[in-house]
Amino acid sequence: MRNKTLSWEKMGESPVRERLDSGLELLVLPKPGLKKTYATYATHYGSIDSHFYRPGSKSPVQVPDGIAHFLEHKMYEKPQAQVFERFGELGAYTNAYTEYTTTTFLFSATSLVDECLKTLLWLVEEPYFTEENVAKEKGIIEQEIRMYLDMPGERLRSNLMQALYHNNPVRLDIAGSVESIHTITPEDLYLCYNTFYHPSNMVIFVAGDVNPKEIIDQIATLEQLRQVSHRSAVDRIFPQEPDGVAQSYVDQALPVASPLFMMGYKDTTTGLKGADLLRRDVTMGMLWSLLLGPSSRLLNDLYQDGLVNERFYAHYSSAATYGISVLGGETPDPKRLEAVLNDRLTQEPIRREDLERLKKKQLGEFVTLFEDPEDLAYLFNSLYFRGIDLVELPEAIEAISVTDLEEARQNHLVEAARSTSVVWPNHPQGGPS
Amino acid sequence: MTWPNHNQSSRFHGTLQEGLGCFIYPTKRFKTVTIHAAWVRELTEPDNALGAMLVEVMRRGTESWPERIQVEARLEELYGATFRADIGKLGDKQLLSFYITITHGQFLPGNPDTVRDALDFLTEVLDRPHRVDGLFPSSVVDQEKTLLKRQIAAIINDKGQYAMSRLMELVADGRRFGLRKLGTEKAVERVTPESLSQFYEAVHRDATFLFTVVGDVDENMVQQYFSEHWRKPRHSLSTIQPLYKEGEAKTVVEPSEVRQGKLNLAYRTHLTAQSHGFPALMMYSGILGGFSHSKLFMNVREKASLAYYAYSRLDPALALMFIGAGIEFKDYQAARDIIEAQVLAVKKGEFSEDEMTFTVKAYANDILSEQDSPPQLIGRHLEEILVGGGQEGTALIESLKTVTRDEIIQAASGVELDTVFFLTEQEESGHEE
Repeated sequence: MRNKTLSWEKMGESPVRERLDSGLELLVLPKPGLKKTYATYATHYGSIDSHFYRPGSKSPVQVPDGIAHFLEHKMYEKPQAQVFERFGELGAYTNAYTEYTTTTFLFSATSLVDECLKTLLWLVEEPYFTEENVAKEKGIIEQEIRMYLDMPGERLRSNLMQALYHNNPVRLDIAGSVESIHTITPEDLYLCYNTFYHPSNMVIFVAGDVNPKEIIDQIATLEQLRQVSHRSAVDRIFPQEPDGVAQSYVDQALPVASPLFMMGYKDTTTGLKGADLLRRDVTMGMLWSLLLGPSSRLLNDLYQDGLVNERFYAHYSSAATYGISVLGGETPDPKRLEAVLNDRLTQEPIRREDLERLKKKQLGEFVTLFEDPEDLAYLFNSLYFRGIDLVELPEAIEAISVTDLEEARQNHLVEAARSTSVVWPNHPQGGPS
Repeated sequence: MTWPNHNQSSRFHGTLQEGLGCFIYPTKRFKTVTIHAAWVRELTEPDNALGAMLVEVMRRGTESWPERIQVEARLEELYGATFRADIGKLGDKQLLSFYITITHGQFLPGNPDTVRDALDFLTEVLDRPHRVDGLFPSSVVDQEKTLLKRQIAAIINDKGQYAMSRLMELVADGRRFGLRKLGTEKAVERVTPESLSQFYEAVHRDATFLFTVVGDVDENMVQQYFSEHWRKPRHSLSTIQPLYKEGEAKTVVEPSEVRQGKLNLAYRTHLTAQSHGFPALMMYSGILGGFSHSKLFMNVREKASLAYYAYSRLDPALALMFIGAGIEFKDYQAARDIIEAQVLAVKKGEFSEDEMTFTVKAYANDILSEQDSPPQLIGRHLEEILVGGGQEGTALIESLKTVTRDEIIQAASGVELDTVFFLTEQEESGHEE
């Protein structure tokens, strides 16, 4: 770490990194004293990657929406036994999740780490899809989708994404729809698996009271047996996305007690990678901390007016093909909240002293991250797939200037790129008080 | 009442005497130091509402930082320390909790003494809340009343949580543990600056006070700090009263605007964490539905595809077990039959050696993992104090290992159905059996 104020040594950390011949990247972080070892095996493949060229092929392929999530579920099924049972035998916990651009498989264990690693590799590297097991999974995933349909917060966000985007697949729910998942076939799943679950598109992260050399040797030996060679990157196809939003306002009535409000800004600056993407990301993150963080004047005024509660949030998230700022929470009066925000967000002063204090906060939060392997793995993976090294983070934060923030505000907080989503109570007694 | 430090293998050092307890868990595992201060009282009405109000109002300002915005800026200045003021409920007890977690200065540029800063911050919040002429400002009280009332009304937004809290009320049937931790909207409405200020005075003077620190701290320094600031004896507290009742089980079906049915069952177990047979009961619940290899998950979700989730868990204080599942409305009877069949199967000893081994390992993983999380360590310790004993950590793991099949069957024989609650769709008219 080049930052002169914070070194790995100062932080008491010594990560080890290695890239295997197959292109698989490994990061091992020894954490002496921790009881739990936490490992993730992640692929750069998520819900938005449903249109692509297979490596070596010139004809594009379109697969059903929700297939990345379906594939994640289906990886747990094997001909001999179930992965859940195997991890159960080992006394370990396993889970997986699918996001817009990544799918992550994980375990946490307090013993038998080498066996757990072997099982994680088995989980991710041996697909087994049949007509029968795919048909059975549809019932389970349909229940999961219906559960999300009951969650007002999920509807709020889903509606906002569809309002912000005309074409970009981030507008679709990660799990797909009940209709789309029913069209998925074993062949579709193999096609996606072979395209995206290639070592060169994946990364393994391990943190715990482990010896990094042993971990790396074990994985390297197992990987060598697979005899998979390095391959070029997958060519993904994304539709053209206009700068403006599809709809500036969208709402729905649901059984909630008070209205839910969410406002989004679609970032028109996309296609960034590596250091540029990191700079954009930390600048936008800092901008929202300044404008609507807990110590901001604007948030406190909203709070005192009873327009928001302490669960109000504002943050930015991005990948190569999209960037979104999302802010919202419960409010008795969405219209007034929206008016105040639109009025003040572009006007609030950005002060140097506030920026310096928030840099201290983010520095402390960065150090704290190393106490929680789960959060750390999440951040490491998401930065890695965007071509960013975790160690660059403190320096990038330190480098943010007031001018950077003013510029970011000017080009991001524009009306044409803004949508608002509201969920209204459909019971009169639960209406605005 | 005096509790000695009941568990010598525990790494918490300290005792509870005359209603005052200071417990320290010194460790170098973490990047942070977590300090938790709690006032513990009997859960009653309308003190539940007053307590819920008080923590929110105390969070708003202190003598040195009268405005919320100043409190927040101070936390940012302390390298983004996180501070939470929560109202909690454990069985029939009310907990007014204040947490601060701060990055240890040794990992920061210049090695600032952040622990001392955090102690001072917490003391300021507890002992010197912002008041005008001895009263909390009415504007603050009014704002927090509005927000709390809204939060109470919003419980319905989370269907799973709502179903669980309705079940709890039905099981309690008028007993204090069924009271909601936030109180009712009516009780909140009646809170005044006068009643809230009097409540604060009484709690601050009389309530059992538990102070817990986890991290790389100097024990003597913390002990000394504690005895300098809090020395007056207070009310001591009885342990949580478990539910021992007789009678037939009841079933309540409630129609609501949901898209997925929520089926929740409560069972009386007649065993609490301090009972000799508790480890055997844990084995019972674990084999039944504690983990992803358990019978409920394997049969209700995996084999019958009836649910997206299905679990069982114990309440170690109240001597209760809960089972929950998210199902299709039409599957109510099928899901209930298959759940009750699993409950019976384990009672009859229909489980394998493997299922026992997996369950021990899974518990061992959970118990050890807890030790990597300061809030979980603190929560478990608090629970142990309020239940009045029970095993934890490696001692508990050892006990689980020695539990026999007969002991599990024996523990299971005391498990009886108390209440079934089903949250279903509106069209289908509700009925009571």
